Amino acid sequence: MSDETSHALRRSPLDRAHRSLGAKMVPFGGWEMPLSYAEGTLAEHNECRHGAVAFDVSHLGTVRVEGSRAFELLQQVFTNDLSRIEPGRAQYTHLLDPDDGSVLDDIIVWWRSPEVFDVMPNASNTERVTGALEGTAGVRVEDVTESRAIVAIQGPDARGRLASVHAVAATVGRFCVAGFEWNGAECVVAGTGYTGEDGVECAIPAEHAERFWEAVLEAGVKPAGLGARDTLRLEAALPLHGHELGPGITPLQAGLGWVVSWDKGDFRGRAPLLAEKERGVRRRLRALVTEGRRPPRADQAVLRNGEVVGIVTSGNFSPVLGHGIALAFVPPDVEVGDELAVDVRGTPLSARVVKPPFVTKH
Amino acid sequence: MNVPDDLRYSPDHEWARLVDGVVRVGITDYAQDALGDVVYVEVPEVGATVAARDKISEVESTKSVSDIYAPVSGTIMAVNTELADHPELLNEDPYGEGWICDISPSDPSEVDALLDPDGYRALIEE
Repeated sequence: MSDETSHALRRSPLDRAHRSLGAKMVPFGGWEMPLSYAEGTLAEHNECRHGAVAFDVSHLGTVRVEGSRAFELLQQVFTNDLSRIEPGRAQYTHLLDPDDGSVLDDIIVWWRSPEVFDVMPNASNTERVTGALEGTAGVRVEDVTESRAIVAIQGPDARGRLASVHAVAATVGRFCVAGFEWNGAECVVAGTGYTGEDGVECAIPAEHAERFWEAVLEAGVKPAGLGARDTLRLEAALPLHGHELGPGITPLQAGLGWVVSWDKGDFRGRAPLLAEKERGVRRRLRALVTEGRRPPRADQAVLRNGEVVGIVTSGNFSPVLGHGIALAFVPPDVEVGDELAVDVRGTPLSARVVKPPFVTKH
Repeated sequence: MNVPDDLRYSPDHEWARLVDGVVRVGITDYAQDALGDVVYVEVPEVGATVAARDKISEVESTKSVSDIYAPVSGTIMAVNTELADHPELLNEDPYGEGWICDISPSDPSEVDALLDPDGYRALIEE
């Protein structure tokens, strides 16, 4: 990476803390973020499955949507139905392309109070999401990403260790959202994450973030980077934008039909998505386990009886299972239990279709 | 980064150690650090003939795959079978237990043409 590139990258409020821990920093979605710390990706992965880790996910966007018509706007723009939840809850939802129904971004919405929503896009999509929400009378839309850090504390011991930092933050329910005060700073916690383990995500004002991070580490939580975040989310079969979701990929193809509420009224992208639903998807995301330690990788071809029928979207070695795992688009007639293969640079690697996730909560 | 004084190095980050007419080959500390946690190593076949800079192995980490090249021409005499179950040896002991293969060189002078430790240090400090 040249200096020129690194200067253009955004840095988290925790940047200094990561460097002092000896993190390997890499570009990700326009930010420079930790790939791993001294112990490495596998150790961080295993710590999340058996103990507790903290990820800096400040590169996620926070777009604050406020006003008397905010609820109505989000109902029209996103696929999921906010009337299924209430203030103080979080919801996973999609922003679709109005023309082809493909997923422009996958988003978590934190419903803070009746007229205040924190919409959290992927790093590189924050402007796109802000653009889709702006321009409605009675709704204020503001990108507040710069103002805070987000620390995800995940793992079976996450809540136990966080309890010594803040008791309330440690007890927030799954997919619940609550405000809390820490050392005089107004913070927000949500029972959400991206690892397949229990845990929480905390939004901390930028100027307090470093002290909060240090307090969390002092409580026995180990730092973990993007490398472990990726292997963890893959074992949990959670989609990553740019791989399992993105332009050209609809929620139905990705097996995420539950994110789409057909009966809430019209929303952006509903018509083309409904047309796809009626004619049937041409491909579907499936979970594959492969033989041996060799990792399948994104963009490798999936074979059925020697013929190319699909493509791997994400693949890696599963630290918990000890063999390769992959998510892949395959024809809709491929079923759980089917035998396929992945073309790993000319060598066919035996693969079997399984029901996701690959690894269940510890 | 550890760059032992008794080894020779390729510009592709392999090391070569000539002992009793056989060249032992592995990847450098710099290479294993750049790769991150190694999860799979494909070793060459014993008896195969290779030319210098032929691809002889693939090393896969949690983040990427890297090709390993023969630093010298010759015949593969032995491979490190421990790597099948313990690819992490490349990270833990790249110059020792994490060796990849032994090559019987067809032209031992090729070893002298590799980078010396100072040359390799200069390369990775660029």
